[in-house]
Amino acid sequence: MKACLALACVFAATAQADELTLWHAYRGGEEQALEQATKAFTAQTGHTVTLLAVPYDAFSAKLSSAIPHGAGPDVFIFAHERVRQFVRLDMLATSTGKLDPSVYLPAAIDALEVDGQSYGYPLSLKCLALYVNDALVTKAPDTTAEFLAMAPRLSAADRNQFALAYEAGDFYYHAPILLGFQAPLFDAQGKASFDSPGMTHSLQFVRGLQDKGFMPQESSSALVKSLFNDGQAAMVISGPWFAGEIAEGLRYSVHPLPVVSETQEPMHPFLGVEAAFVSARSTKAAAANALAEFLARGEGARLRVTVGRQIPAETAAYERPEVAQDTFIQSFHRAAANARPTPNTLEMARLWEPMKLTLRAVLQGTAAAEDGGAVAARRYRALNREAPPETSPVPWLLALGAAVVGFVLWQSRKKKEKAPDLKKAIVWVAPAAVGVLVLVLIPFVVGLSLSVFHHDAGHYTFVGSANFTDILTSKGYRVTEPLSFWFTLAVTVLWTAVNVFLHVAVGLALALALKSPLLKLRGLFRVLLIVPWAVPNYITALMWKGLFHRQFGAINGLLHLLGVEPVSWFTHFSTSFAANVCTNTWLGFPFMMVVALGALQAIPQDLYEAAEVDGASKWTQFTRITLPLLKPAMLPAVVLGTVWTFNMFNVIYLVSGGDPGGATDILVSEAFRWAFQRNEQYGFAAAYSVLIFVVLLGWSAITKRLGAEKTA
Amino acid sequence: MPAVELKAIRKSFGDNAIVKGVDLAVNAGEFLVMVGPSGCGKTTLLRLVAGLEQADSGDIFFHGNKVNDVPPRDRDVGMVFQSYALYPHLSVRENLAFGVTLRKMPKAEVDQRVAEASRMLELDALLDRKPKALSGGQRQRVAIGRVLVRRPSLFLFDEPLSNLDTALRVQMRGELARLHQQLGVTMIYVTHDQVEAMTLATRVAVFNQGVLQQLGPPLELYHRPANTFVATFLGSPSMNLLPARREGAQLSGDGFTLRAPASLADGGEVQVGLRPEDLRLASSGPLSGTVVALERLGFDGFAFLKTAAGPVTARFENASVQVGDQVKVELLGEQVHVFSRDGAKALCHPEPKA
Ligand SMILES: Nc1ncnc2c1ncn2[C@@H]1O[C@H](COP(=O)(O)OP(=O)(O)O)[C@@H](O)[C@H]1O
Ligand SMILES: [Mg+2]
Repeated sequence: MKACLALACVFAATAQADELTLWHAYRGGEEQALEQATKAFTAQTGHTVTLLAVPYDAFSAKLSSAIPHGAGPDVFIFAHERVRQFVRLDMLATSTGKLDPSVYLPAAIDALEVDGQSYGYPLSLKCLALYVNDALVTKAPDTTAEFLAMAPRLSAADRNQFALAYEAGDFYYHAPILLGFQAPLFDAQGKASFDSPGMTHSLQFVRGLQDKGFMPQESSSALVKSLFNDGQAAMVISGPWFAGEIAEGLRYSVHPLPVVSETQEPMHPFLGVEAAFVSARSTKAAAANALAEFLARGEGARLRVTVGRQIPAETAAYERPEVAQDTFIQSFHRAAANARPTPNTLEMARLWEPMKLTLRAVLQGTAAAEDGGAVAARRYRALNREAPPETSPVPWLLALGAAVVGFVLWQSRKKKEKAPDLKKAIVWVAPAAVGVLVLVLIPFVVGLSLSVFHHDAGHYTFVGSANFTDILTSKGYRVTEPLSFWFTLAVTVLWTAVNVFLHVAVGLALALALKSPLLKLRGLFRVLLIVPWAVPNYITALMWKGLFHRQFGAINGLLHLLGVEPVSWFTHFSTSFAANVCTNTWLGFPFMMVVALGALQAIPQDLYEAAEVDGASKWTQFTRITLPLLKPAMLPAVVLGTVWTFNMFNVIYLVSGGDPGGATDILVSEAFRWAFQRNEQYGFAAAYSVLIFVVLLGWSAITKRLGAEKTA
Repeated sequence: MPAVELKAIRKSFGDNAIVKGVDLAVNAGEFLVMVGPSGCGKTTLLRLVAGLEQADSGDIFFHGNKVNDVPPRDRDVGMVFQSYALYPHLSVRENLAFGVTLRKMPKAEVDQRVAEASRMLELDALLDRKPKALSGGQRQRVAIGRVLVRRPSLFLFDEPLSNLDTALRVQMRGELARLHQQLGVTMIYVTHDQVEAMTLATRVAVFNQGVLQQLGPPLELYHRPANTFVATFLGSPSMNLLPARREGAQLSGDGFTLRAPASLADGGEVQVGLRPEDLRLASSGPLSGTVVALERLGFDGFAFLKTAAGPVTARFENASVQVGDQVKVELLGEQVHVFSRDGAKALCHPEPKA
């Protein structure tokens, strides 16, 4: 019977032309290649293919919400790191056993395996390699010893000339070095492992590169790109995507990463494998499978290489004459030989933040290389807290039920006013009520409920108040550590107080200056001073981040002119905090200035004359007349500004990024990290948000009293 | 030595000359009232004295010391603003005490002064209110009280009674007069109300269009106005002015002939000034005209007539006068003022009747 059915399927598939949909996140040449490949597929098989390009950020979320509801594509293209998660969510069609090791590169096959079963067809590879500026380097280094020998000649830190540039603070870029020094990522139990000699050596190695001026500090992708294009970086570690960023006419070549001389082990970059997956819910499985395999092999692979400039996973592709002569593709092929698939396990996801913390700490000098492993291990333990014991929700539900019943009784005991036109009233109120319900109430209730659950890999367990007690007792770390709620709360309060004080002080000072009749061009200044407010704040934040850069920032440039030593802004709490405060003050003062200006203009001039005649000095006039009369207008602005600043995520996230070691993170940015950067601890993050809500509720009660005092 | 002396003070705002060369000396202990129509520059002049405006030219002296460059807070003056200028965020009590608390006066004395001023101005019940909970008159009293509490050596008032009801205004006039007597301090008082000027002033300064017209004790100004502006501005209803010619011993105009005062020098064209209270409707008299309006103040009142020489106001003591009546007007006590035809100069005044 089963065989019959299968036969019927195959028959149907060959007999009729199916309409397939394919989702991808490609742009530019890659998208063009995909279009040509699917056309070739249609020509060959008669099945039509509809392509949908989805923005990369939204792709994963769109897939995991659409496919289980049958609304997804038949085939989609995604990197292999998610394959385990896709399998767990039953999104992938079971493939027909193992992939043929003679057809695809072995590493690509490994990458697509989950528990002995292969999923999808590998399309292309992504890994890091060494880009070399041929004008500066005649022979690319094969070993680290060779590199270190040539580096002094290629570097001159005082002229911003470096032998090497790469995003050293990012674990993805450090991983090849770590693996080259033979540090294990996981221990025998498959748990993350940090404290190893290889870890120490790899950190010492990169710290040494920085100390000797062989590579720049605080690298970002933009910095790497501009250094390489300006001939200021002889070599760059990056992936195939970097080729598109290189300036026209710059002669360069690509090489495998060097061998670590101490260990004789090559550096092993992470290998990302892009694959065509067939959806578990596809109703045209046979045609979909055919499409996926077509893209992976033969003509599909050829088009992707020649048009899309992808590094193919199919071995035969490298034998084609046009590919054999393509040095870029061949170079990456060679580089990929040393690459290791990024583990698609959950434990891998837990490695990133501790490693990033350690890298930053060591590169910024706040931790010694020998302690790097310990720093990461501590952070790992803190972030991957053990799931709290599951508890029974029954007492909670009973308490909730009792509360609801009590509330209803209490409400019904209150004398009811007769509503003469209840129906009409409901109609009028409904639109706003629906808005509030959908946009405020439901998210609030969901967030509140989430805070009593523990989330682990898609499974939620009810843990009662455990999240709250863990947060409030700083379980797993000291109260004085940046991870602690109390520490972060103190930082947040300090952050808010300092900012609001500066916003008001600067805003008021400028408002007073702008009000002065002596000032020429007042209108122009007024417009100019409002500009910081008009620019989207994340753009401003990124600009300030650049201004504070250790080596290339304008602020250190100014300090240098004044003969002051450049400051590493993000390595100390005080300077990092100050950088955040500068940025946010820049963003925040115009609002206060506008409010103060309006309020100042509403103060009658004759009050000052009366006070002047009464014998008040200018300062007395300011303190006894201006300030008290500004208060009614400024108080609401200050309350508003307090809440904005308290939750000012953008500046913290973009300027200091929490550095050093999360010390400058505030409550919202911490909540964000717990939810999205630390092992998806949604329940814990929700509990954080609830606590933020409670703090702000308390604050609003205080300000309400302040306001009441004023009017009394 | 005068308490305040203004010498050739000029002040313009942009192209508008507001004060056009004023010379004025205020004696110590004097109650000087500056009076003039709205917009004539009284407030501006007062602000110049207080130091809130800088003169374009001319000098200001306090007791012989030039104060042109002394800021208001060091001039030891108190000012009641036309707009009250009460501090809206302070209670009445705090408003009253504002000036003295700045000077670090002991609290007991502050309280005593506030109590005194508030009793005098009937503000006791309002001490804890904010200005916005007060009526216009109450605010004005607080503004006066604020100066009283400070007791500066020079008081400046800018129309302080303009918002009070009649009864309170009369009472406050009395209080201010008493206050001046009691404190013996120099006061400069600006008003457009000639009754206030006449009742309060030691001397009155009459202004028109930024120019001092006449300075003197109230009765002198009333009896011997220096020009037709002062003559018509003081006294209610206004003095009647009729063009006339001197012809021998006669002053004759259109439809009337009067005996020319002996002291009048020979001349041609003049204006005759007759105060309404010196004119009576009678069965016979030098002027005749038609009644166009009546202002009854009980049994008697004023009648407004149309005569050949122009409009004339005269008293009547006969309740039976009607609008439209043809009447004659008699002149009591030979009270004839004579001015030059352009009105700029008085030629002769009558002896005031006893
Ligand atoms: N600050 C000023 N700027 C321009 N014009 C002014 C200013 N202050 C007063 N004036 C003008 O000066 C004239 C006299 O004003 P003011 O002294 O207040 O008159 P008064 O008090 O006699 O009614 C008015 O025409 C007024 O418009
Ligand atoms: Mg005025």
